[in-house]
Amino acid sequence: MSGNLYEASVMRIAAVREETPDTRTLRLEFADEAARAAFSRAYRVGMFGLYGVPGAGECALCIASPPTRDRYVECTFRRTGRVTAALADREAEQRITLRGPYGNAFPIDDWRGRDVLLVAGGMGLAPLRSVLWNLLDRRAEFGAITLVCGARTAADLLYKDGLAEWAKRGDVKVTTTVDPGGETAAWRGKVGLVPAVVEETVPPNQKGVAAVCGPLGMIKFAMPVLVRLGFAARDVYTTLENRMKCGVGQCGRCNIGGVYVCRDGPVFTLEQLRKMPAGDL
Amino acid sequence: MNALETLRADAARLLGEGRAKVVIGYRTRGKKRAPVFITDAAGAGSLVYDAACRQNLAAYLRKPEVRTLLPAALVASPPVMRSLVLLAAESQIGEEDVVVLAVGPASEGSGEWRYHGALTLAETARLLKEKYALLAPRPELLDQIQSLAAVSVEERAAFWHEAFAQCTRCYACRAACPACYCTVCLVEKNVPQWISTAARPHGNYAWNLIRAFHAAGRCTGCEACEAACPQGIPLMLLNVLVAEEAAEAFGIKAGYDLDAEPLIGSWSADDEEDFIR
Amino acid sequence: MKIVDVDKLSDLAAALAAKGYRIVAPVRDGDVVRLKQWKRGECVVLDAFTVNSVKDVLIPPSEVIGRYALDGDDFTPEAVAAEAPKTVVLAARPCDAAAMAVLDAVFNWDFADTFYNARRAATTIAALACRQADEQCFCTSVGGAPDSTAGADIILRPADGGKRLTVEALGEKGEALVAAAGEVVQEGEAAADAVAEVPVRFDAAALAARLAENFESPLWQTLSLACLGCGACAYACPTCHCFDIQDEGTRRESVRLRNWDSCGFGLFTQHAGGHNPRPDQAARWRQRVMHKFLYFVERFGRLACSGCGRCARLCPAGMAMADSCAAIEAAAQKAAKR
Repeated sequence: MSGNLYEASVMRIAAVREETPDTRTLRLEFADEAARAAFSRAYRVGMFGLYGVPGAGECALCIASPPTRDRYVECTFRRTGRVTAALADREAEQRITLRGPYGNAFPIDDWRGRDVLLVAGGMGLAPLRSVLWNLLDRRAEFGAITLVCGARTAADLLYKDGLAEWAKRGDVKVTTTVDPGGETAAWRGKVGLVPAVVEETVPPNQKGVAAVCGPLGMIKFAMPVLVRLGFAARDVYTTLENRMKCGVGQCGRCNIGGVYVCRDGPVFTLEQLRKMPAGDL
Repeated sequence: MNALETLRADAARLLGEGRAKVVIGYRTRGKKRAPVFITDAAGAGSLVYDAACRQNLAAYLRKPEVRTLLPAALVASPPVMRSLVLLAAESQIGEEDVVVLAVGPASEGSGEWRYHGALTLAETARLLKEKYALLAPRPELLDQIQSLAAVSVEERAAFWHEAFAQCTRCYACRAACPACYCTVCLVEKNVPQWISTAARPHGNYAWNLIRAFHAAGRCTGCEACEAACPQGIPLMLLNVLVAEEAAEAFGIKAGYDLDAEPLIGSWSADDEEDFIR
Repeated sequence: MKIVDVDKLSDLAAALAAKGYRIVAPVRDGDVVRLKQWKRGECVVLDAFTVNSVKDVLIPPSEVIGRYALDGDDFTPEAVAAEAPKTVVLAARPCDAAAMAVLDAVFNWDFADTFYNARRAATTIAALACRQADEQCFCTSVGGAPDSTAGADIILRPADGGKRLTVEALGEKGEALVAAAGEVVQEGEAAADAVAEVPVRFDAAALAARLAENFESPLWQTLSLACLGCGACAYACPTCHCFDIQDEGTRRESVRLRNWDSCGFGLFTQHAGGHNPRPDQAARWRQRVMHKFLYFVERFGRLACSGCGRCARLCPAGMAMADSCAAIEAAAQKAAKR
């Protein structure tokens, strides 16, 4: 190793899955076993990576698979700009780069014995699927696990197979919803915005932990609901995203006030969120 | 009252009458001049004007924060007046948005200046045609352009390579220029990345040349870009070269006509080139 | 003591060049004075303010941090080595030398940037104490001084009415440089000249608390109204280090570049999805001031400003960091009196 912190690992695309018309998931395998082992040692759920296509650039995305499944790394992204367009053009057996894992993690070891509520909106299901898989792979350690997950329309839901599979298990309660107007004739789930569906389906006097990921607007509306349901601010978690380049706290781009999303985050509690300047979010 | 006193009195009056919500002018800051945004008539006393006022205040009309303060009265020398007329011709401002506090040299080459009054854009265009129609680039610039034209391509390339090697891509030139009002500049687009953003030779050439071309027929010779450049790059050589070409080949001199068609945005069926037909 | 005649500075540079040092010094370049690679025959300018800072030597405006050979859709990573020639910065200002502590901290925070560290290790700073300051200088407001030795490997002090410089090595690198200089640096006596007077313009320590209280203040809108959102101040600043990473290349090779960037640019924080957390210049100016005077203090225990004044000298729109700091202090004092 040269010591160059910008040297990335080479990843082979083992599989491609189109999740929705504009999002896809890549299953990636390390070209180098030593790199895979190093990554596996460092990775905890919540951390992110910088996925790159030489010539197009790098883009910060969550690591959409848990450390308990460490033979591969998944990333889920929406085709939005230059790098995601290049990622969207790659095919199985082709290669990309991955730098990471960076950032902090959900402290799931501290959640042992407690109930866990996961609230996901749109692309927010990507980091929360890592969390859910991590919890399910260690199921006996945790209390009741609930997932409330929504998207704008039925077609926009990520991991449709995964959602069906989790709903069939007996050990996790899954509620899916689409925004009003997003349902199809065949839709059997709920219709309503995610925060409203959380308020409707989750009983009050909650004593466990909650993690909410999704568009910033959804998070802002979901937080007061979770507080009303009894969650303590230090027990409510979210992931924030910001424009990123270096991912290691040096380029100065991702900060919210004095907080570096790449280094102090991306996982934050509601308690920490309240201390951040709203005008910089 | 002398010119400065009259200017200040007009500024105060416009604010007091509500004909302007802000007066944008110059103030003294130590040994230099800085822009001032006056919203209270009492502040008009801080206005100054002299040759050290090199910023083109018309550039502020692209800032959303300034647009919330319209109508604005702007202190404008002839090149700045031309910029205002240009912005109006390009539909960026209207008569209702600005009052022009027109200043200009008292006489050819003198250091003294005179105040023409608080004018509408139409009056400003008329003033420019009557009193400032023969504005020309500084003779030193034209001489240097001629010298450069006379040397070999290799020498010219070496000159510009050295000049652009200093460019750090701070975009102060773009920021200072009232004609650069695109909300997303070409260099900020990345699908595809038309111009390299790195401060390296090929990107620096592309940036500076393309900016000069995008200002073709629009540059009013205010020299704010060259004054803004922290590296001392001779940007006016490029801009004047292009402006002279626009004048000779297309008869266009920016900022005199409120109804002018833009050089790079218009065409004529009588164009002598046949590729356009 | 060790001394060198001011009119022998070119000889000093030549002697060091002969020993393998790349010399970076203030030289006249057209209408400006620039810190750049000194060439034989050039005069080292001692009494002017350079348009650029020592930062240029440690973090170039653009550098390669990754390289890939391309073959259709496939690629092969290639090694990249830092360009770190043995360099001496001759006659750097003390404010520039002091600023390097900020860069040292950032580029070794959690991860060590080998490019920066290689250049830092290869660079010797010979700072020149200031006999003159101008109205933009404010080193004394941020814990500095016109004769500060912070960050310097050698301190040169004007003496005998500006005819000589005393030479004091401040550690190994400095001593190595003095040894390399050979006979140009002589033993002798000289009377040190008076150092510049730089009046204190605001209380930086109190400012941090005031900034924390004033995030939502409408003052930011007023203070930033003149700002045109270019990068002149950030690029000239010896402590500013924000950068962009861009891939560029041909069909056969791509490079990953680290390029200077500025939090003052409108698109600096623009999300791909369209949201911009800092959508106006007031938010961006606030970030600039608070990063330097509050956030950096909270994270690293030091100010991210050395009072060099370049931002004020070079701003095409009359903005100045010190003006904003003084204005915030004045507003806070006025509020306190009520």
